[in-house]
Amino acid sequence: MFAKIQELLEKESSCERTDLPDRVKMKVQDFDLWYDDIQALKSVDMDVEENKVTAIIGPSGCGKSTLIRSLNRMNDTIPSVRTEGKVWLDGYNIYDDVTDCVDIRRKVGMVFQKPNPFPFSIENNVFYGCEVNGMDVDKDKTVERCLKQAAIWDEVKDRLDENALSLSGGQQQRLCIARALATEPEVILMDEPCSALDPIATAKIEDLIDELKKDYTVVIVTHNMQQAARVSDYTAYMYLGELIEFGKTTQIFENPKKKSTEKYITGRFG
Amino acid sequence: MSLRKIIALWIFIVSAGVAIYGFWNLYNQSEIGYWTMAGSLLLISVVCYASGIHHHIISKRQKGLPMLVYGTFVLSAAALSIYIPNPLDLRPWEIYVRIPNSFFFSLFMLLSGLFGAYLSFRPFYDYKKEGAQVGAYYVFYLTLLFTLFPLFLIIFNIVTRGMGGITWEFLTQDIVSMGEEGGVFPAILGTLAMISLTAIIVLPLGVGTAIYLAEYAKKGLAVRVIRTAVNILQGTPSIVHGLFGYAFFVLILFDGKKCLLAGALTLAILTLPIVTRSAEEALNSIPGELRDASLALGATKWQTIRKMVLPPSLPGILTGTVLGLGRAAGETAPIMFTAVYFSGAGTPSSLLKPVQALPYHLLSLYRLVGYRDVEQQAWATALILLMIVLGINFIAIILREKYRQRF
Ligand SMILES: Nc1ncnc2c1ncn2[C@@H]1O[C@H](COP(=O)(O)OP(=O)(O)OP(=O)(O)O)[C@@H](O)[C@H]1O
Ligand SMILES: [Mg+2]
Repeated sequence: MFAKIQELLEKESSCERTDLPDRVKMKVQDFDLWYDDIQALKSVDMDVEENKVTAIIGPSGCGKSTLIRSLNRMNDTIPSVRTEGKVWLDGYNIYDDVTDCVDIRRKVGMVFQKPNPFPFSIENNVFYGCEVNGMDVDKDKTVERCLKQAAIWDEVKDRLDENALSLSGGQQQRLCIARALATEPEVILMDEPCSALDPIATAKIEDLIDELKKDYTVVIVTHNMQQAARVSDYTAYMYLGELIEFGKTTQIFENPKKKSTEKYITGRFG
Repeated sequence: MSLRKIIALWIFIVSAGVAIYGFWNLYNQSEIGYWTMAGSLLLISVVCYASGIHHHIISKRQKGLPMLVYGTFVLSAAALSIYIPNPLDLRPWEIYVRIPNSFFFSLFMLLSGLFGAYLSFRPFYDYKKEGAQVGAYYVFYLTLLFTLFPLFLIIFNIVTRGMGGITWEFLTQDIVSMGEEGGVFPAILGTLAMISLTAIIVLPLGVGTAIYLAEYAKKGLAVRVIRTAVNILQGTPSIVHGLFGYAFFVLILFDGKKCLLAGALTLAILTLPIVTRSAEEALNSIPGELRDASLALGATKWQTIRKMVLPPSLPGILTGTVLGLGRAAGETAPIMFTAVYFSGAGTPSSLLKPVQALPYHLLSLYRLVGYRDVEQQAWATALILLMIVLGINFIAIILREKYRQRF
């Protein structure tokens, strides 16, 4: 028993490490992923730079969601998933056997395509992450900070104890962002955060992403090319599970190196 | 509401009234019941058929034949039944039964009603949306009526016959002289104690199994085996549960002595599948997005279950549990070998002592009818049992509403 604990402790300190280049927050290295026998990611390599917005674009079914969910090990919830390769966060391999998914997800927050607030009050939604992680923080202050950061404070400050489901779709999505901010993450993943929203709500979220990158590193999946061009600093183009091209957004959009990329962003895809 | 609908509804109400009258007569063993019932069925089928014809006309499909066939059938049926000798004497064929004329009449009415209903519903399937819509409306209306009706009949029947026996004495005293005097007080307490104990045992077991099946188990052979086992358990006759309870709990665990705990354990096994399945359904109805959202915030699986999945599925779990307990409260077979005495057990005092219980009390009184003057007491016992079961269901509704408001 004690030997076992000792072994675990030793393992804990022996999580695989590497030195990432300066300003690189996360690094995907030769990463493969299978759903049963179907390979959805094929040796993907990608750097996520600190305090920048990285956009992932590509046609439907190319593996964007799969890739972004790999960054906080959300794919672990799907039993059929098998992975190979490494994803580094601050120099630690998050796919090492000894890493704890719970820790990773606290550091790498996630916002989903469909707004999915919990069916209880707004403030409890925001505080949920702190609660489950046993964070010793002041509830009111945390709630206010997160809601302000997510640019929704003014709209809900008088109704914090109301059920979150009574909010509009756009408000719900900003609440979900606020909720993700509460655990003080370092990276925020957003999988098509605007696809269920109207143009005005979308504009609000885009402004918000611009604000967020001051404090956080953001990775966003989007189907909307203009959105990728507007909000991101880096863009990754994927096709059929492969990362075809990765670079500065300006370069990808103005001067793509690969034919496939050019076809896709000019809308001549097919 | 169009005139056609009003007329249809009116005919419908009338035929429903006739049907109720028919049931009532049948119930009083009066012959008139057969043909009133059959007649009402005929009326209902006419309504359906009329709306069917209506749709024939609007869809401009000329299908006069079914109507012709139907008309001929009804007329000849009526004619035939009149020509049957009254009453039919089968003795020449060595069958010593005398069948009254009205039986044939009602039989023909019934058959023609069924045939008419078949003919009139059939065209609905031929029509496009609107016809099917109207057809579905009538079909569901009918089903509703036929489902509610027996329930009302049972409740009405037991209440009217049982009310007379409910006295203060009956409610507060123990049984005296084989049930002819005294009351059912220990039996009420025994039943309540038994189902409370059952609830305490079955809730953690059932909910635990459901959580394992819905949240933890990998979808494989093991899960299928457990699920099949649960289904088999649900399909097992309650007398088998009773015998198992006797063989295992009473003989092995409790030294051959009937007791409250043995009964509650047996009832827990009986209700376990109901609780497990309803809890599993409730858990599965929580959307996966909420689980993902919770996990993505760094919650562990157990935290997610406890905070996100269990609270909103609690109403469903409670409803299932209470329905199971309602069944347990009325069961006789599982407890008669394991826990209850007809008399002499007194008010429940220990988990390891036998008790009296209402269903068994009812059974015992029923057996005595004819030898002792206990019929009134039996009806009153049935009424109290019914009230307890209805009360349990009422509690379920209140709990469910309360929790629905919280989440
Ligand atoms: N749970 C799953 N089980 C099996 N296969 C899956 C699963 N999820 C995704 N896939 C497959 O993996 C591939 C990539 O899917 P993914 O959801 O990552 O695409 P996407 O780029 O996000 O598409 P979209 O733009 O439509 O959201 C698809 O071929 C899909 O069929
Ligand atoms: Mg996707």
